[in-house]
Amino acid sequence: MQTKSKKRVGIFSLTCDEGCSIYLTEIFNRKLLEWLEKMELVYFLAMRDHREAENLDVALVEGVVTSEKDLAEIKKIREKAKVLIAMGTCAVTSQPSGQRNNFNAEQMAEIEEHLETYNFLPKALALKDAVRVDDEIMGCPIDENKFIEIFERYLN
Amino acid sequence: MHACNLDVEISKLSKIEGHADLDIKIRDGKLEEVNLKVMENVRFFNQAARGMNYNSVPQLVSRICGTCSIAHLTGCIEAVEKTLGIRPSEQTMTLRKLVMYSLMIRDHALHLYFFVLPDFFGVDSILDFPENQHEIIHDALAVKEAGNNLAVLMAGRAVHAPFEQVGGFSREVDAKKIPAVIEELKKVRPLVLKLIENFSGCPWEFKRKTNFVALATPDFSFLEGKIKSSGGMEIEEKDYWQHLHRIVFPYSQASGFEFGGKEYMVGALARLSLNKDNLHSNTKKDAVKYLSRFPSENIYDNNLAQAIEILHSIDHSVEILENNTFKKEEPAKPERLSGENAGAIEAPRGTLYYALKIEEGKVKDLKLAIPTAQNLVNIRKDVEQIVSGLCAAGIAKDELEKNIVREVSKLIRAYDPCMSCASHFLRVRWV
Repeated sequence: MQTKSKKRVGIFSLTCDEGCSIYLTEIFNRKLLEWLEKMELVYFLAMRDHREAENLDVALVEGVVTSEKDLAEIKKIREKAKVLIAMGTCAVTSQPSGQRNNFNAEQMAEIEEHLETYNFLPKALALKDAVRVDDEIMGCPIDENKFIEIFERYLN
Repeated sequence: MHACNLDVEISKLSKIEGHADLDIKIRDGKLEEVNLKVMENVRFFNQAARGMNYNSVPQLVSRICGTCSIAHLTGCIEAVEKTLGIRPSEQTMTLRKLVMYSLMIRDHALHLYFFVLPDFFGVDSILDFPENQHEIIHDALAVKEAGNNLAVLMAGRAVHAPFEQVGGFSREVDAKKIPAVIEELKKVRPLVLKLIENFSGCPWEFKRKTNFVALATPDFSFLEGKIKSSGGMEIEEKDYWQHLHRIVFPYSQASGFEFGGKEYMVGALARLSLNKDNLHSNTKKDAVKYLSRFPSENIYDNNLAQAIEILHSIDHSVEILENNTFKKEEPAKPERLSGENAGAIEAPRGTLYYALKIEEGKVKDLKLAIPTAQNLVNIRKDVEQIVSGLCAAGIAKDELEKNIVREVSKLIRAYDPCMSCASHFLRVRWV
């Protein structure tokens, strides 16, 4: 009945340990039922198989853009989302998941072949270096209070 | 029905940790190829660890995996301590058990309630349960939260826990908060019994004889013991690697392992099948009718085993918290700053092995065997058997495809695989 006015939210993981979305499921322990009054979770592979990534009001994205595939995906998410929020330190700063950016020549030599085989970008990117980002939530994993404050701003 | 050609491609399996694709090729009605492709981009932890101070490396490897970060943290700390002759106090070991229990409660609950129960009740997501089944969502959130709050009390946070360190804990336990945590654990216990009852009635069955491998701990605390196999092997933690053989899949960003030259399975089903006698007495009492099912060759009993492990984690945690007081302690110090050794723990998804070489306090090399990587060969063989069975059943092509997608996704989910972890096999450059 109220579905129409509910915000369509998608949660996406690029290259990372998915610690932020897992931590988000812990925040859900206290907040999910309240938020479900205001949102419809239309994309979150950890919680549903059915995938709707069209007309998103809010896209929460964790991880870094490390490969061509990640880059194509974040561009697609950007196109579909009114608001894109970078979730966690990886998405905001490219670290720690982009730790290869800080490797020395010896370390780089070891991983070169893998980078090539799997079409990695020259550097792992923070989201804002790939697309326009509307908001950011720092933390490894995301800071709980900050997440609630920022996310609720877009839900209301 | 005439023999068909069919390519089944599942892109991004859902309701598992991390990203994996599955390609199945059927030619002339016969299974030709199964490729389970771990699609996580590698983040190169072994290169990143090299040269790091021994104190910092556990927090680094914690970032291998979001959901079981505490397992990586704890496993790596154990390997550092064994390598440098650091002897954690009895209290530290007790606290670590509680930290591991917090992990098992919330991680198994996430898998069972969020990933598996929807399949069980024929809906896509826990969010899709009709009003009259909303109790399940309430139960899920309450059980997870009890584990989460235990993690917060003991380790500071459930993901990338800040208090657990090499040699001990950086913070004293806040004694004022213990009673509320005990009360919450007791409160969710009946919900867990209900969960166990649910899974014990699960009609799904898939059997294929395999070898179970698990670290058998005397109090089922996931930390210290001997690695056992259903083939009767008993191995010291440090020698585990010698029995493993790495299998490279050219199409995947992960590799698999064989144990003693054959596929094997690690995880809750292996632990219950090899070590159920050491569960907590209260758990054994209340789960007695379900425990007789183990050892079990039915892979779907992994779900039941996980639910029983939640109960054990609650029961042992309550006993520890009710009967101990915790004091402030200084972290144990290293005896030496160079060495080579290894340790293993039981992570939620199975045996997690860490080996380290440290020189002058700096990590020279690091290697690990991750549970999901150890299960990959077994999963693949199971998928082959399921698909071959469905092909032989003579069903129409579009029906066959639907059945394959449903049955194979369900089976893979029962293993509770973690692809974030699996991609970090860490290329060995051990010298």
